[in-house]
Amino acid sequence: MSGKKLLNDFFQFIFPFIVVGILWEIIVDVGLITFIPSPHELLVRFYQLSIQKNILEKHLYYSFYRLIIGYLLATIFGIGVGVLIGVKKIVSDIFSPVLGLLISIPTIAWVPVLLITFGLGDKTVIIAIFLGGFFEVAYSTIHGIRMVDKNLVNAARIMGADRLKIFSHVLLPGAMTSIIPGLRLAIGYSWRALVGAEMLAAMVRWGIGKMIYEARFWNDIVTMFLGLVVIGIMGMLLDKFIMGYIEKETIERWGMIEKR
Amino acid sequence: MNQKHLSTYLSPLFFIILFFILWEIFADYGIVDSALFSKPSRIFCNIYNNSYLVLIHLSTTLYRLILSFIVAVGFGILSGIIMGANRFVYRFFDPLLTVLMCIPGIAMVPVFIVLLGFGDSTILTIGIIVAFFPIVYNVSTGVRSVDKNLVNAARIMGGDRKTIFLKVYLPSSTPYLVTGLKLGLARCWRTIIAVEFIAATNFGFGYMIWDAYEYLDVTTVYGGIILLGIIFYTIEKTLIREIEKKTIEKWGVVSKHEW
Repeated sequence: MSGKKLLNDFFQFIFPFIVVGILWEIIVDVGLITFIPSPHELLVRFYQLSIQKNILEKHLYYSFYRLIIGYLLATIFGIGVGVLIGVKKIVSDIFSPVLGLLISIPTIAWVPVLLITFGLGDKTVIIAIFLGGFFEVAYSTIHGIRMVDKNLVNAARIMGADRLKIFSHVLLPGAMTSIIPGLRLAIGYSWRALVGAEMLAAMVRWGIGKMIYEARFWNDIVTMFLGLVVIGIMGMLLDKFIMGYIEKETIERWGMIEKR
Repeated sequence: MNQKHLSTYLSPLFFIILFFILWEIFADYGIVDSALFSKPSRIFCNIYNNSYLVLIHLSTTLYRLILSFIVAVGFGILSGIIMGANRFVYRFFDPLLTVLMCIPGIAMVPVFIVLLGFGDSTILTIGIIVAFFPIVYNVSTGVRSVDKNLVNAARIMGGDRKTIFLKVYLPSSTPYLVTGLKLGLARCWRTIIAVEFIAATNFGFGYMIWDAYEYLDVTTVYGGIILLGIIFYTIEKTLIREIEKKTIEKWGVVSKHEW
C-alpha cells in the first residue's frame, strides 16, 4: 500500500520531466532552437564526466564537504546566538539592531570582503556558506524562543524548575517549531551561497559552482547546463528529502505542526 | 505614547552607531587591522566624496531591479493563476518548479553570458527568472487554498466568473500574493547584486563592489556593503512593513514579527 503510493508519487513527480525532456529533444533536433544543448547531449556529457572521468563526483565531493562544515558551523553558532538573544533581554537590546542590519546584506555581497580578509581559497567559501545559513538559524531561534507560551514557563517555574531546566525542558523544545523550519530554509541559503562563492573564489579548483564558471572559458554550454541541472536536483534533494525527512521525524511527529 | 515611540525608534539606531564607534576605536588602536577592515570614518568620507558616482551605481541597480521585478510580477501572477485554477496544470508544473527554484541565479550567469553577452540583457533576464518562481509558487498556492464553499456560495448567489474572481479569489489569495511579491523582491535584489559582480560592464552597485575588490580597495567594498544593508533594511522596515500591515496582518494571517 505504502510502497505503491510512493511509486505513484514518484511517477507523478518524474512524469513532467520526461515530457519536457522529450519536447526539448524534439525542438532542438528539428532545429527550432539551436543555442541550447539537447537532453541527449547532457546525458552523454554526464556519462563522460561522471562515469568515464569521475570529475563530477570530485566536484560534488568538495562542494558537499564545504557545505557540511559551513552548515554545521551555522547551525551551532546560529542556535547559540539565537538562544542568547532570545533569552536575555539586555543582549537582545544591544545586538538585535546590528543583527537586523547585517541580515539585510545579501550573503553574496560578503564574498569580496571575505576574499580580501581570508584569501581566495576554501576558507572564504566555507565562511560564505556559514553566513548564508547563520542569520536564518539565529533569526528563527530568536523567533521560536519568543513564541513559547509564557504560561508554560510560569508553570514550570511554579513546579520548582531552575533556570537551566526551564531552558532545556520548556524553551528549547518549544522553540523547535520555528528552529527546524529555519534550519530547512538555511540549508537552501547555504547551498546558494556555496555556488556563488565557489564561482567567485579564484583559487578554489573543485566544486560544482567552479565547474560551471570554468566551462565559461571554453564556451562549453553543455557542461554549464549539466551543472545547472545537478545544482537544481541536489538543492531539491537537500530540501525535500533530507530536511523534509528531519521535519517529518521531529516536529511533525511530535504533533507541533500540522501534516502538509 | 509619543515618548515610547521615540525610544523604540532611537535605541536600535543608538546601538548601530555604537557598533561603528567601537569599530573606529579598535581600528585606531590597531586591534582591528584597518588595512583589511578599513574604518567607519574613512568609509563614510569615501561615500560622501563619491556620492555622485554612488548615486549613479545605485540608480542603475534600482532601475534593473524595478524593470525585472515588474516583468516577473506580470508573468508570475498570470502563470500562478493559470496553475492554481487548473489541477492538471498544477500537477504537471509543480515538480518542475520545485527543481528550478533550487537553482541559484548566480549559477545561471555563465550560461546567459554565452547566450546573451555581458550587460543589461543578462542581468535583467536572470532577475526576471529569479523573481518569477516565488511569485508563481505563492500565487498558485493562494488560488488553490481558496475555500471552495465560498466560491460555490458566490456562484449560487448568481456571481459570474468575473465577479467570483474579483470578489472571492482575489481577496482570499492576496496574503499569499504579498508573501510571494516580498520573497520575489528580496531574491531579485540579492541576485541582481550578485549577477552584477560578474556580468555588469560599467555601472551597478554589484559592479562597484566587485570593481573595488579587484583593486583591493577595502574602503569602497565596505561602503558598498553597508549601504546595501541600510537600503534593504529601510525598504523592509518602511515599504514592505506598510504593505504587510495593510494587507496580511489585517486578515490575521501572520503575526507581527519582532525586528
